[in-house]
Amino acid sequence: MIDTGMKVLVVDDMSTMRRIVKNVLRQIGFTDIMEAENGQDALTKLKGGGFGLVVSDWNMPVMQGIELLRAVRGDAELKTLPFLMVTAEAQKENLIEAVQAGVSNYVVKPFTAEVLQGKLEKIFANVQPAKTS
Amino acid sequence: MLVDRMIETEMPGDGEMPEELLNEKRSINAEMEELAKYVEVITKTIREMESPVTSTSDQLPQATSHLYDLAKMTEDGTHKVLSLTEELERNREGIQHHLEQLRANVAGRAVKDLDAILIMVKADEGRLLDIHVALSFQDLVAQRVAKLVTILNEIQHKLLKLVVIFGIQQQKGETGASGEGRGYEMLRQLESSKTTALQQDLVDNIMSEYGMS
Repeated sequence: MIDTGMKVLVVDDMSTMRRIVKNVLRQIGFTDIMEAENGQDALTKLKGGGFGLVVSDWNMPVMQGIELLRAVRGDAELKTLPFLMVTAEAQKENLIEAVQAGVSNYVVKPFTAEVLQGKLEKIFANVQPAKTS
Repeated sequence: MLVDRMIETEMPGDGEMPEELLNEKRSINAEMEELAKYVEVITKTIREMESPVTSTSDQLPQATSHLYDLAKMTEDGTHKVLSLTEELERNREGIQHHLEQLRANVAGRAVKDLDAILIMVKADEGRLLDIHVALSFQDLVAQRVAKLVTILNEIQHKLLKLVVIFGIQQQKGETGASGEGRGYEMLRQLESSKTTALQQDLVDNIMSEYGMS
């Protein structure tokens, strides 16, 4: 069961893709969705805090998705943040690079709403519930 | 003629030369004659290249511009379709809401009919979302266009190098190229993506090998 109350960051340099991903996320039930145009913009927003999920493209200007992923995994505050890569970079080397960098899951464009929802469900099924003190 | 200037087979004093040296000189002259003819053919070929090279390097920026326009057109068109499907979805939600209210206030056969209509209206939610997601093709188009533009810039850069090296007269001198070798790398990526691009099921298989589903 996905907690659709969490804040989601959609990162893509193409405005059409941000809009499409946002609409799919809204259909799943997410309501608090923010956008970033590249990895650098995303990192600044993520450091502001409060996000529960990142859905990012790979190929972007300024800072690529894979660099954003490494920056997130290297940040003490953000390192456990679920990170879904939605990308046209469909070579095996890209996937392995993303897995080694700590991606939570990987969706190849063009995708379907079912695939995106399925991947999100798998990500959150694997996420350990936060321990309360 | 260059050949005529270079080749003088008989010089004063040649008659005093030993026959062996004279034969060697004739042989060298013959080789030089061949070489000079070859140089002339090359020079003529370079001159013939002038027109196509200059016109091609002039046309490439136009082709690049057309490609950018193409990407922009697909982006604008996609936003238009997205807006219309969003509007349709809002209407569909409104119709569903009204039908559900109506259903709560009727009885008998009308309930059955309204249920049948509601099933159809709810089914359209998925269809509208599918239209939305199908429009992600635009992102793929834009990325490929960007790679093609880089390749064209690289070709233009190479052509201009030829222009400079061979001294071909040229009307315009903008290169517009950046990053030597990037164009060829992107061409390689475009070519390889035809045969080695991963499908989602293969992605899932590889992910499962890493213990991720």
